Amino acid sequence: MIRIEGISKEFKEGIGSKRVKAVEDLTLEVHKGEVFGFLGPNGAGKSTTIKILINLIYPDNGTCSINGKDVRDRETRRHVGYLPENPFFYDYLTAEELLWFGGKASGMSSAAIKERTDQLLTKVNLQAARKRHLRTYSKGMVQRAGLALALVHDPEVAIFDEPMSGLDPIGRKMVGDLIMELKGQGKTVFFSSHILSDIERFCDRVGIIVGGKLRVVDRVDSLLSGGTTLEDIFLEEVEKAGGGATV
Amino acid sequence: MTPLWPVAVITFKEGIRNRAVYGISLFALMMMAVNLLISDMIMQEVGKVSVDIALSSISFLGLLLVLFVGINLLAKDLDKRTIYMVLARPISRGEYIIGKFLGMVLLIVVTMSILCMFAVASIFLVKMRYSGYFPRFSWPMIFLSISFTTLSLILLSALSFLFASFASTSFISLILTIAAYIIGHSMTDVKALVEASQSVGIQVAPFTVKLVQIAYYIFPNLSIFDIKTQAAHDLAIPMSYIFWAVSYGLVYTCIVITIASLIFRKREFP
Amino acid sequence: MRRALPVVLLMLLLPFHILGLQAVTREWKSLPKGDDIAYVIPSPILKVTSLEFKGLTSDVMFLRALVFFGGLLERGNIQETKKWEWRWIHDTLNASTDLDPYFYDPYYFGEAQLTWGANMIKEANTLLDKGSKYRDWDWMLPFFIGFNHFYFLQENDKASEYLMTASKRPGGSSMFASLATRLAYKGQRTENAIVFVEEMLKEEKNESVREEFETRLEALKGILLLERAVIVYKDRFGIAPFSLKDLITAGIFAKLPEDPYGGEFYIALDGSIKTTSDLRLMK
Repeated sequence: MIRIEGISKEFKEGIGSKRVKAVEDLTLEVHKGEVFGFLGPNGAGKSTTIKILINLIYPDNGTCSINGKDVRDRETRRHVGYLPENPFFYDYLTAEELLWFGGKASGMSSAAIKERTDQLLTKVNLQAARKRHLRTYSKGMVQRAGLALALVHDPEVAIFDEPMSGLDPIGRKMVGDLIMELKGQGKTVFFSSHILSDIERFCDRVGIIVGGKLRVVDRVDSLLSGGTTLEDIFLEEVEKAGGGATV
Repeated sequence: MTPLWPVAVITFKEGIRNRAVYGISLFALMMMAVNLLISDMIMQEVGKVSVDIALSSISFLGLLLVLFVGINLLAKDLDKRTIYMVLARPISRGEYIIGKFLGMVLLIVVTMSILCMFAVASIFLVKMRYSGYFPRFSWPMIFLSISFTTLSLILLSALSFLFASFASTSFISLILTIAAYIIGHSMTDVKALVEASQSVGIQVAPFTVKLVQIAYYIFPNLSIFDIKTQAAHDLAIPMSYIFWAVSYGLVYTCIVITIASLIFRKREFP
Repeated sequence: MRRALPVVLLMLLLPFHILGLQAVTREWKSLPKGDDIAYVIPSPILKVTSLEFKGLTSDVMFLRALVFFGGLLERGNIQETKKWEWRWIHDTLNASTDLDPYFYDPYYFGEAQLTWGANMIKEANTLLDKGSKYRDWDWMLPFFIGFNHFYFLQENDKASEYLMTASKRPGGSSMFASLATRLAYKGQRTENAIVFVEEMLKEEKNESVREEFETRLEALKGILLLERAVIVYKDRFGIAPFSLKDLITAGIFAKLPEDPYGGEFYIALDGSIKTTSDLRLMK
């Protein structure tokens, strides 16, 4: 499971002047085996939080741990699968080589990689394109390759940043099915999105973040039990935070 | 098994499939033709001139490889965020830099081997045409010269990694690496010049002399890897020179990469 | 109509481009240049700017000298070459050998042109000395220096010294050693010169340079013939002939040998045989 304790991150724009508080005193816990949705408007701090979990960004304060290990330890990522928002890959690698890299770097054997590659590429429907250079892939294909890469080493925890972006309805269904499959396997899934229907459909719990601060954390069914829609709750939080200025 | 090897492999594959490598090979072909042309104009020492041209060409092309393909490999990771796919694995920042550098070393060695074949072919053609005009010629010396050039390019590439570890854009890394190359090759001559400036009739302040002498230890001395003249004339090089030059190269490279990985640890990727 | 516009524009611009370039080239040719070209970058600076390409730069400098000389030949009157032009050639050869002192061609070319053509004997010797120091396996360079001392500077002792050096180097004939001792004798200058030139001819592969040596040899042999004839005359009549025609009247020659350089042999006031061509091609 994922434990975030008192994370803050401030960015400086340009040379010295403007300071932007991307995340402020965020505390959150994701339980083992649950699907947690991270909801917020653009620029709310979702990506920043996720990148802190992957140790791409260092927080000014606070600590994070995944499965009991501090995220600053590289071993943590052996069992974490990460899909960035708008993934970019080397132009001249093929999907096959990409997955080989992901597997080997995570310590898998060549045989295991081969099997897993076949499995995953079929699942994300990239078998036909597996030997083509990634630069020839469409946006949707790139996204799907990224998913395969995130899951090649069969991680315990999957962290996805806007996994549905750039996908057509077929692709979105595929991602949804994948998330449910992971849940069925007892894996933990943490993903960020600003698409309300996705959160409603897949998540056990949701956290709403606006302006760098976590506003609401609750079970989805609890939130919706009173008859209100997620949209209402979301817009209310944005209003409370000061007007819904988006980036 | 550390993740160094997979990082090195994908770095190498990405580099070797880069279109620029084809461009460099095309250039090499042109240089071969130039070699034949110019050798025609020389009266006596055709051997020395054809070796000069062949070795200078591959030095230059190797330089282009390091400056444009090499820096691009690291820059792409940083600019285009392809680094996410690597750092999301269980790999530390330091391991990332070392793995990438190993991939770069592999790329340099393989490309230089290909260029070496072009050079050998061009010298061979000229030698067949003007066999009487190759008074002092040695294939081993030529291979030694190319190996030394390869080592100096590896050193330069390490420096480009150092610059990339803190520079904000790839353009800055490029400029710094070019500066390092120029300083590296002119260092010995500049040092000789300021230490005996009267021969050219210019005045040099003692402060400048001291500055240059200190700089000599900080900046890389790339000119010790330039044995093209010795190769062109088959002049003997003692084993001790080879030993110390190679040691210097390896030690300096390790120091630079270590510093680069230390700096890189501080880097964030928002 | 609008689609044709770029094409029409190109067709209009093209003649202007050609005419403009021709005009600019004309103007550029008539720009005053003079002695600016005579500047050669000092070697220590050239060493720094040529980075790791010293060998290549040395080749380029040599080719520049070659091309420049070719230009002088094309002009057609090599005797009218100006002092600064020879100096430029010398400085360029010097720069080339500073960058790569093992490069043979500049020394070779320097010996051929700076001596006979430019009369810059001392400078040629300094250049060749540099080469001889580095190319310590090469006997030709000290041989050339020895020849210069003997033929142009009339310094037989120095000539001897260099010939001895040459004889000790690989490929250096022991014949040089004996020639060195012969030079100890003040006399027999023309014979020694003939031996020297025959030796140079043996090594020379380049056709046009061979021609030069052969012409010189012919002239020297002519001079030797006349010198010997003068001795015979002196023997017979007790005094030297007044003019070379006297040799014909005395029946020693039917016809005087011809100067292959186009001049005329004559006997100088000190009794030595000279020629109006001074052993340079007259046109």
